[in-house]
Amino acid sequence: MHDTEMQQDRTGIVRKILRFLSGMPFSFALLVIILAACAAGSIIPQGKTLSYYFDAYGATKGGLLIGLKLNDVFHSAWFLLLAGLLCLNLILCSISRFGKVLAAFRKTKHFGLWGSWLTHLGLLLLIVSFAAGQFLAKEEVVYGIAGSTQPLGRTGLMLTIDSFNVSLRDDYTVEQYTAGLTVTDKEGRTVSGEASVNHPLDAFGYSFYQDSMGWASWVDIFKDGQLVKTDLICAGEYTGPDELPALALFFNKFYPDFGLDENGYFTSKTPLPNNPYCLYGIYYEGSLISMNITEPGAPIDVHGYSFVMRDPTEYTLIVARTDPAAPAAAASAAILIAGLVLAFYVRPWEEKRRKENGSAADKD
Amino acid sequence: MDQLLTKTENISFMAALVAYLVTAAAYFFYAVAKKEWARKAAYGLMCLAFGLQTVSIVVRGFHAGRLPLTNQYEFANAFAWGIALCFLIFVRKYKFDVLGTFIAPVIFLIIGYASMQSREIHELMPALQSSWLGFHVSMAIIGYGAFGVAFGVALAFLIRDTFPGSLAGIPNNETLDRIIYRAVALGFLFLTLCMVTGAIWAKKAWGTYWNWDPKETWSLITWLIYAIFLHLRLRKGMTGRKAAIFAVAGFLCVIFTYVGVNTLIAGLHSYK
Ligand code: HEM
Repeated sequence: MHDTEMQQDRTGIVRKILRFLSGMPFSFALLVIILAACAAGSIIPQGKTLSYYFDAYGATKGGLLIGLKLNDVFHSAWFLLLAGLLCLNLILCSISRFGKVLAAFRKTKHFGLWGSWLTHLGLLLLIVSFAAGQFLAKEEVVYGIAGSTQPLGRTGLMLTIDSFNVSLRDDYTVEQYTAGLTVTDKEGRTVSGEASVNHPLDAFGYSFYQDSMGWASWVDIFKDGQLVKTDLICAGEYTGPDELPALALFFNKFYPDFGLDENGYFTSKTPLPNNPYCLYGIYYEGSLISMNITEPGAPIDVHGYSFVMRDPTEYTLIVARTDPAAPAAAASAAILIAGLVLAFYVRPWEEKRRKENGSAADKD
Repeated sequence: MDQLLTKTENISFMAALVAYLVTAAAYFFYAVAKKEWARKAAYGLMCLAFGLQTVSIVVRGFHAGRLPLTNQYEFANAFAWGIALCFLIFVRKYKFDVLGTFIAPVIFLIIGYASMQSREIHELMPALQSSWLGFHVSMAIIGYGAFGVAFGVALAFLIRDTFPGSLAGIPNNETLDRIIYRAVALGFLFLTLCMVTGAIWAKKAWGTYWNWDPKETWSLITWLIYAIFLHLRLRKGMTGRKAAIFAVAGFLCVIFTYVGVNTLIAGLHSYK
């Protein structure tokens, strides 16, 4: 007697908890917190270095902010938990409503009845697909000049940049960046094609995106008139003789069409290599000992070495991405939209018809 | 030819700007004087302004050789156009002209904002050369237009609720309430489509469909607010004053997503 009473009590509590978790008050609470989290995540700059937050917000506020993970809201454990609870809420409420919707549908054959149910299903699947994408998506970055071949990170694929072309309009604005690519897998199969902005190349489960570009330069290093090293570096990179690692040339910036602007600063008059100059710095034991511009081909003599920057070339930066969950996300979005159309536009029409037929419309 | 097109666009745009201002005044007069001829005049003016604005958009699209939906000016102009379009549809359907008293000033403010932006036609950078962008922005225009109408109706509701008998020829509360709901539902569907087409475009251009950038995040916030509205209404029977206040808040959020995110949040970052 006593035992079954307790059991009833317990199932009563479980039932109450389940009802709460599947109920709308719980959804409202979750949605409002998620909303506030989104607002915080959009107003507070995300993903900066920790010192940034201490500088911008002070020691206490900055510390609090980092402690609460407000510097990376959308990847924080508590945001994930909120999303998880919303999913739980959606699952429970969909399960509990399924029977009722089905029964009503059997009676009336109104497809509109499925509208809100499908909307929630689509949303649930969309959240799950997005979350799966966060864990499953992979990204590899490669940059190089036309003619170069390199391994694509950990994918086992090789990427050859066959060509790279920047098409300019008459006013020198960029019309398109286009890279000709060949991707080779471990078995030696290849896929070739073009990747341009808004038109990625698909190969072996990855999409290859033309991301950005810059200038690279060959550097020949001579010692006593002998060539000791040839290297290709991009603007922002270093090179130096292997025997004297303390000595380095830093390729600062490239001016394809060098000139001075109205304030006397270095500038490039056009993006075309009409009058190319490189801005470089020479470092010795970590400190800058000289900085200057040089024409390609002119020697830069220092510490018995001679650096020659030559043949400046545009390089392209290619990003390869894969998100195995993206098709699921697309399908979920389609379900969500279909659900909305049913909920808003199939149902009222039927309600109207029901009213016109004179039957007592059973309102929700 | 170029000059002619620029001139036509400028003249029709400025004329539309002025016409919307006059329309707003005419609707205000109608709301106060409650004369039938004033209603007809205001409606005629609204149609004229809408026509002129349509000309300016079409001419610009023809001139640029693309959908004119890519920079601040073009989008603000289209945004105002979308609200005017939704308004004209709703007025015809619900015979609810006083709504113009609230909608016309909103349209005027937005087209006024457009008039402060540069009207120069620029060629598009590669990332913007996508037909998904066209879909994306078109969906936004319809969605925002519908939310704008809900906002106007909600204002009318709140004013009449506060000052009974103040507005002429305005439908009963139940009808207003239904219009607000229908407009929000339409807006919600198109906001959803806007976000989905935007995600597809982002995937094509950058390889990830959702990046939590402030604009995306604020459109999600807007979406959640309207989702809460729909549920409160459906399940908790939220109608009348509360629903109207929600519709106003939702639209403020729309405006913030559109203008505020660019200016305020970007500004916050750059000042720090
Ligand atoms: C952001 C999340 C959500 C969105 C976008 C959403 C969307 C919708 C939509 C569009 C409708 C139809 C509204 C109408 O016909 O006016 C609806 C109805 C409904 N939603 Fe949600 N929903 C969400 C979350 C939830 C959650 C978490 C629950 C769980 C309790 C829930 C429970 C319901 C119920 C019970 C209805 C009424 C169904 C009916 O009578 O047809 N919703 N929802």
